[in-house]
Amino acid sequence: MTYRHTQTTRAVLRSLVPVICPPEAAALAEPIIDHMELTFGVIPPILGTAIHAGFATYDVGAVPRYFKRARSLSGEAAERYYESWADGFTPMHVQFAGMINQLMSMACYEQPEMMERIGYRVGPWIEKVRHKRLTVFADDVAKQEAQILAPDPLRPLAKTKKEVA
Amino acid sequence: MVTAALHEGARPHNVFTRHDLHGDTVLDCDVVIVGSGAGGAPMAAELAEAGFDVVVLEEGSYYQTRDFTANTSQMVRQLYRDGGASLAIGNPPIMFQEGRAVGGSTVINGGMSWRTPEDILARWRDEAGLEDLTTAQLEPYYERVEKRIHVAPMDDEAIGRDNWLLKKGADAKGWKTVGNLRNQAHCVGSNRCAFGCPTGAKQSALVSYVPRALHYGARVYADVRVDRITFHGKRATGVVGKVRTDEGKTHNVVVRAKLVVAACGAIHSPALLARSGVKSRSGLLGGNLSLHPNVKVVALFDEDVSGWQGAHQAFQVREFADEGLGCFAAVNLPPSVVAMSVPHRGAQLGALMDQYNHMVVAGLLCEDTTTGHVKVINGRPQAFYQLAEHDAANMQRGLVLLAELLFAAGAKRLLLPFHHAQELTSADEAHRLLDRPIPPKGWEVVTVHMMGTAKMGADRTTSVTDAFGFMHDVDRLMIADASLFPSPCRVNPMETIMALSTRAAGHVIDNSRRYFG
Repeated sequence: MTYRHTQTTRAVLRSLVPVICPPEAAALAEPIIDHMELTFGVIPPILGTAIHAGFATYDVGAVPRYFKRARSLSGEAAERYYESWADGFTPMHVQFAGMINQLMSMACYEQPEMMERIGYRVGPWIEKVRHKRLTVFADDVAKQEAQILAPDPLRPLAKTKKEVA
Repeated sequence: MVTAALHEGARPHNVFTRHDLHGDTVLDCDVVIVGSGAGGAPMAAELAEAGFDVVVLEEGSYYQTRDFTANTSQMVRQLYRDGGASLAIGNPPIMFQEGRAVGGSTVINGGMSWRTPEDILARWRDEAGLEDLTTAQLEPYYERVEKRIHVAPMDDEAIGRDNWLLKKGADAKGWKTVGNLRNQAHCVGSNRCAFGCPTGAKQSALVSYVPRALHYGARVYADVRVDRITFHGKRATGVVGKVRTDEGKTHNVVVRAKLVVAACGAIHSPALLARSGVKSRSGLLGGNLSLHPNVKVVALFDEDVSGWQGAHQAFQVREFADEGLGCFAAVNLPPSVVAMSVPHRGAQLGALMDQYNHMVVAGLLCEDTTTGHVKVINGRPQAFYQLAEHDAANMQRGLVLLAELLFAAGAKRLLLPFHHAQELTSADEAHRLLDRPIPPKGWEVVTVHMMGTAKMGADRTTSVTDAFGFMHDVDRLMIADASLFPSPCRVNPMETIMALSTRAAGHVIDNSRRYFG
């Protein structure tokens, strides 16, 4: 089944983008959250369950202190609330905050705009070196491909299965 | 040619995927191999060439070199089990990565190809009674593997600046460095080993042993998850699995075979056996898990490094290999992976990442002295592993040495793999790290080398399989992966997995009357 963020998760993540991602990524909030959705779709169930529970707890956990849910926090309040988790009431709080930081940071720097910003232009690089391999080293490449298929029985003198039969 | 097809042509006719299986399927063969990685693929190729009818089942999908793109997260989702977020539970939890695709973890590893050192083999002989596992006995199998997957030193021109800086630091310290041997045919330094080599240079099982197995008649079924092994009395008779179509339908896949080989890696092989009701009188099935914990640091240089332009891990610093610190190496990571590896956030993260092209990411590998275990929970394997104080202390020492090396190479700042890590700006500061032991729970540890959960040995009361990977007390059931290692092998395990698998295939051929007569 394809994973989909719940409304709560999406709202909480939206409030966390300015806290975790650099200011220059502010306009990329929705692609970052969409990317996290794809990631959550393949992580182990044990983590998925923890994440769902974590977001729900994170959201309502702000109410006693700020009289509103985490999804509605912004600016300093959102920062302070996240830090209270990252610094940890319990190891579970610390691990949840750390995991969200990791996954959102990853999603942030998967955005083409962010990769371009830091000078990571790997696509053209791959094309360049792939072309080089297939031209400069074409003979050796062909030799290796031929070697992979060439007959070379492990037990030349042993009777093969067909012979045994 | 099959290999050409793997790079750019159509899917070979004897590779079947979820798109080909429209109902329940029953297959008959001589040998069914579960897993198509470093253990399964050589076994399949050798036995197929010897004339056996081989079926390989792989849980992951079938991709070709042309499918490997610059989209890191897509590659991770497609090629890694659990999106690369598998966790061994402990304090700290240890994240580990396994490949899940035709070709197994060889599709996503760095391609380091080393023989297990003689002193480790001696330990395996002494402690597990594996008398034949000598350097001389293994020589022909290692040679054969090295030829097949083209193990070779890197072309100098493909080595990136980050690796030259690592070597510069090691040379300045006078430490032993070796040029890495890798399974590559003119690697040109795309530095995408971990996400499927997009140039075809890395000779993973996907582009070496799997095409060879296909060429000699093996059938490969991708997208098939094997649930259990079937038995008649104490004899393994095949496997039962499932394939899930894109439409959400599930079809059964039943394979009837004369020999069953589990080659799903040290986490999933013991789980498959446990799900099948197999027990070992040693009590060690799923136990004895070692995993070469490793940690990474991020070093910042004034000069432009652009480590993504050049080969992955071109050198290994081996100075402290005999002291439990297997190697130090430069391991360029894409920006998204660096960003998730550091505790920074907000503007601080942005400022750090703006220096991405000035980073050298370096790691160290620890030969662990403790073991964990794998349990099956709700049908899925779960690893448990508690990092030992001794190993944490050893890694702390290793980290100081690595910091010395990187500062000797010209690093200006160093980020450490601890929660709430501080930065270091000199080797002197690094030395102060030793004043205060960092408890295991403070570390951020990852691994890609899981080993030992079905250890081989001569004594059935202290081992799970015999010296060729045949389960004690079960007929016609073999294991062919790193589960067999009695202890950590200190070096990258791929080549030893392949050599042992080749040796086991030879044993099967030599005894074909017994298994197939």
